[in-house]
Amino acid sequence: MTDMTEPLSVPLPDTLAEAAPASRAVLIWRAIFILIPLVFIVFLALRLGTAKSEHRAEGLAPVLEFTTFEGETINLDNLRGQGVMVNFWASWCDPCREEAALLESTWRREKDRGIIFLGLDYLDQEPAAKAYLAEYDITYPNGPDLRSQVARRYGIQGVPETFFIDPEGKIVDIIVGPITSQAQMDGYLDKIRPKEK
Amino acid sequence: MLFNVGYLILVAALILSAFGVVAGFAGGQQRNQRLVQSSFHAVYAVAGLVGIAAVMLWYGLLTDQFQLTYVWNHSERALPNFYKFSALWGGQAGSLLFWSLLLSLYSVALALLKRRQHQVLMPYVNGVMLATSLFFLILLVFAANPFKQSAFIPADGQGLNPLLQNYWMVIHPVMLYLGYVGLAVPFAFAVGALISKRVGNEWVRTVRRWTLIPWMFLSAGILMGSQWAYMELGWGGYWAWDPVENASFLPWLTGTAFLHSIIIQEQRGIMKVWNVVLIWLTYFLVILGTFTTRSGVLESVHSFALSDVGPLFLGFMIIIVFGFLWLLFKRLYLLKDEQTIDSYSSREAAFLGNNWLFTSITFATLWGTFFPMFSEILTGERISVAAPFFNKVNGPLFLLLFLLMGIGPLLGWRRTGMESLRRQFAWPLVAGVVMGVATIFFSPNPWPSVGLAVCAFATMTIVQEFVRGVMARRTTNNENVLVAMVSLMRRNGRRYGGYIVHLGMVMIAVAIIGNEFFQQTTNVTLTPGTKVELGGYELTYVGLENNRASNRTEVGARVIVHNSSGKMVGSLLPLRNLYDKTPDMPTSEVGLRMTLLEDVYVLLNGWESGGSTATFTIFINPLTIWMWIGGLVLVLGTLIASWPHPVKRTTNVPAGAAVAAAGD
Amino acid sequence: MKIIPIRIIRVLIFLLLLASFTGAALAQTPTPDTSAITADRVNEVARGLWCPLCNGVRLDACELKACDQMKEMIAIKLAEGATDEEIKAYFLEQYGPQVFGQPPTEGFNWLAWILPVVGLIGGGLFVWLRTRRTIGREIAGAAPAQSAAPADDYSQKLEQELSRYD
Repeated sequence: MTDMTEPLSVPLPDTLAEAAPASRAVLIWRAIFILIPLVFIVFLALRLGTAKSEHRAEGLAPVLEFTTFEGETINLDNLRGQGVMVNFWASWCDPCREEAALLESTWRREKDRGIIFLGLDYLDQEPAAKAYLAEYDITYPNGPDLRSQVARRYGIQGVPETFFIDPEGKIVDIIVGPITSQAQMDGYLDKIRPKEK
Repeated sequence: MLFNVGYLILVAALILSAFGVVAGFAGGQQRNQRLVQSSFHAVYAVAGLVGIAAVMLWYGLLTDQFQLTYVWNHSERALPNFYKFSALWGGQAGSLLFWSLLLSLYSVALALLKRRQHQVLMPYVNGVMLATSLFFLILLVFAANPFKQSAFIPADGQGLNPLLQNYWMVIHPVMLYLGYVGLAVPFAFAVGALISKRVGNEWVRTVRRWTLIPWMFLSAGILMGSQWAYMELGWGGYWAWDPVENASFLPWLTGTAFLHSIIIQEQRGIMKVWNVVLIWLTYFLVILGTFTTRSGVLESVHSFALSDVGPLFLGFMIIIVFGFLWLLFKRLYLLKDEQTIDSYSSREAAFLGNNWLFTSITFATLWGTFFPMFSEILTGERISVAAPFFNKVNGPLFLLLFLLMGIGPLLGWRRTGMESLRRQFAWPLVAGVVMGVATIFFSPNPWPSVGLAVCAFATMTIVQEFVRGVMARRTTNNENVLVAMVSLMRRNGRRYGGYIVHLGMVMIAVAIIGNEFFQQTTNVTLTPGTKVELGGYELTYVGLENNRASNRTEVGARVIVHNSSGKMVGSLLPLRNLYDKTPDMPTSEVGLRMTLLEDVYVLLNGWESGGSTATFTIFINPLTIWMWIGGLVLVLGTLIASWPHPVKRTTNVPAGAAVAAAGD
Repeated sequence: MKIIPIRIIRVLIFLLLLASFTGAALAQTPTPDTSAITADRVNEVARGLWCPLCNGVRLDACELKACDQMKEMIAIKLAEGATDEEIKAYFLEQYGPQVFGQPPTEGFNWLAWILPVVGLIGGGLFVWLRTRRTIGREIAGAAPAQSAAPADDYSQKLEQELSRYD
């Protein structure tokens, strides 16, 4: 019985038995065993950190380029000097419908006053999206956010989300959820109007 | 009030467990009997306090004390009492309390049963168990207080999540926690063995049963979760490689490897480093799994709501990793192999291969589970890693593992001669080839045939072992077959119980192959009286049947099933449960008819009012019942393997004599 | 096999032409007629796709409105005559690699696939090489191979004896 032989082959005290220096293989293994969990825990910590703060874009608006349903390419850089409202929506999103009419009517009022409305269609399909646009008679530029590139850059957590960008390209307001009051909408728009010469 | 006292009780338990940790480690180090005794007392005291706290929360749930935030969040007046009871583990804080309760019960059982043995190890064991309790009490006291109250008393609660309101979801967490929590015990022994330098067979032999039983609960818990998914979620499957599912699976993998590997250490004194590392990984993965389901680190359909427990878990994990590694490196020189492996065709080599495969599968699963997190942090892109990845990566590995499961028992200790190899492998190989050839044309895909061939191979190995054992007993003891089999399992429960567990695993594998490769499905909309044909069955929709229960409306669609010869074989009622409190979260009950050959599985998708039409998804799932049968066989095998058997020895054997027992 | 009478052949050719003309006429309608596409056919394609909004839910099992719309899209594409591969490519372009439930094999995501293989083979190599060094050789001074585990209460008694000397 192995236990029986243990007292006979009692391990030597630490100082004697550990005399042999750790071989290179052992050192490499130690490094691996320490580094891998360490890196893993660091990643977990990072992830925890970002999970708390919803990391929506802030400051200078990220790159925004897309092609509308009509085939026109729109790039945010070309819109410097105008106030831009970027609205993320989807045809399957019920809250989006609550603000659709308001957005369109406001657009018709504002369209020649240095304000641009852009609609990004998130995780959607073209027929359903076009039907949605036809239903609310939406005339401002809308296009599919292919591969959710724009959504990712702007860090949205869902739809609808609306970003108000001033003429210098800075994000001034981020509204999560539908905008249902004209007064609120006007308030946000006033902050991004180009300065009168 | 009463529940403020509950919080104070948790605080007291926290203080006592901290004290107990110190008493255990210091007492063990200094061989101070009083401190050691204190550590035992601390275990008992903490268990008592946590027990009282749990009873208090149960009282709050069962008597509708909605001023308790937890009760308000997870219960309602109309909730059946059974679910009020199970709501204890339905939410974050309550489930942490439940964790602590089970942990303290395990600690008490361990302390009571072992208080006169293992005098050197037990103080450290107590210390580690109490340290784990301490961590969970810190969570309860600082981050997830189950006794938080609101200033006013709401009239009614929000109700329990509908998905949790069924039998499986009540029993599955209990089984899972019993498994998870129990795996702390072998880890505690490993730490004790390392600290006290008694790294021989003492700790390995002791933990065998204390690992087998939690392992059994964990296996049962995982299978019950699969059963719930199969019967409630209605997509015809039972496992989605969801992060929370993987969280329960990972410690199972390393735990199974550990269970096998300690056999080798016991017999031959090798693979000692493997064993301490495997059980450390198991414990770490248990904590990691508990963390994953509660911290929101990974998106899952299962997770609890986000809370503040994340950083505390990270801190504990850092201690587990670096504390243990430090201990391991210091004691590494003690863990040298006492023997060598003599040949590749030996059982030791097979078990080494076993460890290699299990750790590879663990790593691949861990990597796949957390890859979306790595990807998002490093590239900002959200990648989804779901069943296609895991099937492609783990599938072949599991195939190899089952092959090894068949090969292992055929090899002898130290080395297996050519003649012996030929004798051992003959019948299993024949069985495998026959099965493979017989099933090769069942599917355009070769994999199911290969899988079934390996299953046949492994089964024949097990059968062969039993036949040999029975024949051996008959020649020596002249018993009849049945008595011989029973004797085999009594005298050599470890070995033959283990074989039965393997048989259970083969059954589960067969069920997986059947469901994965041979499933048939269809989607139909039917009017009353019309029928659909699938897989040789005729399913006729009759009409809707509504039923009103205490907190929900059940809408059912009656479907009559006839087989190919026209005989009626079932009357199914797939349901949709519409809950009063959460009308936008309906749950399903699948209409299920199970036979040994296949399941008829009907899900009600939708209906027009009055039942003028009803839409169904129907599956024919071959062999799926074998998963549940395999689970029962697995539990039976574990019980046989861990059954304490009476010893007939009465004579005193002189010290130093090698004692030979039959079989092993 | 009977020879088919020429009369029947003429009828068949006529019917064939009729069908192809009708088909051509139908193909000119703007929205394809999806009534011929069964739910089963749609689900055949849907089983290879994953809900982009959920986590790990296959498209045929997903009950979200977005997923229903995706399935409608599949039906439309099938009616237009697209192959399964073309439909999958379409969704890849729309939603990105999330729809496939597995990481793509390019760029950073290559790591997802290669690391498990590296781990498996690397680990196996390491174990094999370590074993090769000592296989078959005796360790000096090692105790001879023990063959069995003795009975439990015997080991318990021994334990108590030993602990008295600790």
